Amino acid sequence: MPAADIIHPERVSDTPQKPADGVQIDWAGYVFVAFFTVPFFLFNILPVLFGGYVAFTEWSIVGAPRWVGVQNFKTALSDPWVRNAFVNALIYGLIIVPGVTCFGFSAALFVNRRWPLSSIARTMFFAPYVVSATVIGLIWVWLLDTQFGLVNHYLGYLGIGQIAWLTSTQWSIVGVSIASIWWDMGLAFILFLAALQDIPKDLTEAASVDGAGPFSRMRFIVLPMMRPVISMVVTLQMISTLRIFSQVYVMTNGGPAGSSDSPINYIYKAAIVRHEFGLASAVAMILFLVIIVVTVALRFLVRERA
Amino acid sequence: MTRQNPTHLNRRKFLKQSGVATGAALATPWLGSRVFAYTQPIELVHWSWLAASDGEIWAQMIQNFNDAHKDKGIQIRMELVPEEQYTTKVLTSVATGQAPDFGWGTAGKSAQMARDAVTVPLDDLIAKSGLDLADFSEASVNAARYPKYGNQMYMVPMDLMSLQPLINLDHVKEAGLDPNAFPADEASLMAWADAMTKREGDKVTRSGIMMTGSGVQPTVTWGIVAEQMGFLRASADLKTACVNPELGIKAMEWTLGLFDTAKVSTRDVTDRYKAFGVGQGSIFWTGPWTLSGYMKQGLNFGSFLMPNIGGTQKTYFEMGGLELYTQADTGRYEATLEAIKWLSDNSFLWTTVGRGAAPRKSILAQPDYKTAGTPWAKRGAFIDGMDIATIFEIPVLDGPEFTIYSGGNFLAVTLEAVWAGKTKPADAMAQLQERWQAALDKG
Repeated sequence: MPAADIIHPERVSDTPQKPADGVQIDWAGYVFVAFFTVPFFLFNILPVLFGGYVAFTEWSIVGAPRWVGVQNFKTALSDPWVRNAFVNALIYGLIIVPGVTCFGFSAALFVNRRWPLSSIARTMFFAPYVVSATVIGLIWVWLLDTQFGLVNHYLGYLGIGQIAWLTSTQWSIVGVSIASIWWDMGLAFILFLAALQDIPKDLTEAASVDGAGPFSRMRFIVLPMMRPVISMVVTLQMISTLRIFSQVYVMTNGGPAGSSDSPINYIYKAAIVRHEFGLASAVAMILFLVIIVVTVALRFLVRERA
Repeated sequence: MTRQNPTHLNRRKFLKQSGVATGAALATPWLGSRVFAYTQPIELVHWSWLAASDGEIWAQMIQNFNDAHKDKGIQIRMELVPEEQYTTKVLTSVATGQAPDFGWGTAGKSAQMARDAVTVPLDDLIAKSGLDLADFSEASVNAARYPKYGNQMYMVPMDLMSLQPLINLDHVKEAGLDPNAFPADEASLMAWADAMTKREGDKVTRSGIMMTGSGVQPTVTWGIVAEQMGFLRASADLKTACVNPELGIKAMEWTLGLFDTAKVSTRDVTDRYKAFGVGQGSIFWTGPWTLSGYMKQGLNFGSFLMPNIGGTQKTYFEMGGLELYTQADTGRYEATLEAIKWLSDNSFLWTTVGRGAAPRKSILAQPDYKTAGTPWAKRGAFIDGMDIATIFEIPVLDGPEFTIYSGGNFLAVTLEAVWAGKTKPADAMAQLQERWQAALDKG
């Protein structure tokens, strides 16, 4: 009897079976993979495929979907409220993405300096990210309240009159963006901090010895080395912003007059409030395409050049 | 050594075991429901969205039912479902055969559920149960029907809610107004509102008439004033949208005037309920569901009838009721209606403390109806005011798009653009006319 069988008899059964045709199939491997692939197929792939089908139908949950061709896409593209929601999404992107990137980067620079209180600051900058967007939204509704909000209270000391952050068409998108930047900054901060800590000290020290000031070190060493992370943060943030929902739903429900509406909020209202699942799916498909186009464009714009 | 291993998994075993497991999982609910439905007392599943102070009273009503039926083989299990998800969840549950037995509905808003057999027509079941329809007000019975879909009753009316003005009595006193002569027409309403409004320069810091810059409050205000002026969202035969559109436009201008001309309201209020509760508004038209909360809060307020602003004194009317959802086991309907009959027969608590006016004549006629529960000075207008509460839902498939008590339907969103100055009233009316006509044509 071979020694291996005496010492590890259970391993014998682990050997793949050899069917008559000589092909070895390890079924246990498929079972392990199935723990991920089956739920992923059922709860991700299948709904996406079904959503794609529903986009070409009229359906309100009860009964079978009725095929209407591209009618839902025509309706969506001619609906001014859909256009409004997509334009808003781009405005959100123009405010939130630079906001999150700049504030996240500044916060990372501050913590990376290891100044006093930087360890507390690290927790404070990241903390909002672990709180749910709904809670963040509710907190900011109070902070941005026109009459009783703390933000307007302190702006009053600077001689700035009451700003209707959430109740005016001019400011509502800014109000929601402020809350979003505060919430989203945590992830950007932690990614930037990790990247900053990866920059070899030798490089910055050598640059200092060569007479490079802080600005030059930032421009010629830090920023180029962080380019991949900046690219990733900008791309992830843009995708996240195009899908903005919770803050909008909690803080303004898209109002007033649709001034802070977003595509997902529109989809929610079409599907869950009005039960127009076909139209909602069509808008979701359009959003999907927009996200792909914007992501590819961003990757191209901020790509790492050799 | 032989390679025998009892746990070895080959393709055949894997498929066999997967099949058995899947079959067992699929069969369990079916087996379970059959066994439990017939060998145990009936437990009716009831879905409710009532989560504020009215929810506490409704929970008490359900508890009272369960106490009264402890040993009679029937109990109700109530489950709270958020209001904004309610209809979607009901549709999903019916589509998957897992629907609750009964739940809360709002009359006139569920034509689609009636058409798609999500809700159960009740005429025969009501007749069998012995529920006396003659004891219900005619308006409530009519409101429970969908003329375009068989005209059967699809809910048992539980309470009638009208919108009436609440008034902060401290503000009345402060302004030197007579609390025994509340405003009854437009001129006196505006005079009262002006007297109670607080301003800093041109800016309103306390609204004489509580309003928000968007959402439900300006929408419902427009709806009431427009119908008082003679505008109709749909003709009586449900064929023509926007009858007398010029009066609808006039009502938009009247509502805008509250902010811009009369300056008795501010757009800067985000939560109207809270704002009125903390004294940031003096007159606030709302429903009876707020009374219990403001009472608990200790707010010094009264209520009066909606004034005649536009020419005919009218106000908005919403009816809450219980509807049955389609079951695979239709044998449960009778037991469900028995339970609903008990809840209706015993709705004195619900209609004196919980929410609106009783739809049943026998309850209204009880000698202590006016003295029980919330003081009459606070809730009286909501009962007496039912006579003028004639602005109802439009009972068509897209009924929710017509309702004036909404913050997010097509009407509300269209009007929001008017309140924000982005759309002219005439343009908004044209948009409404186009969309509503299409909705009426749909059925």
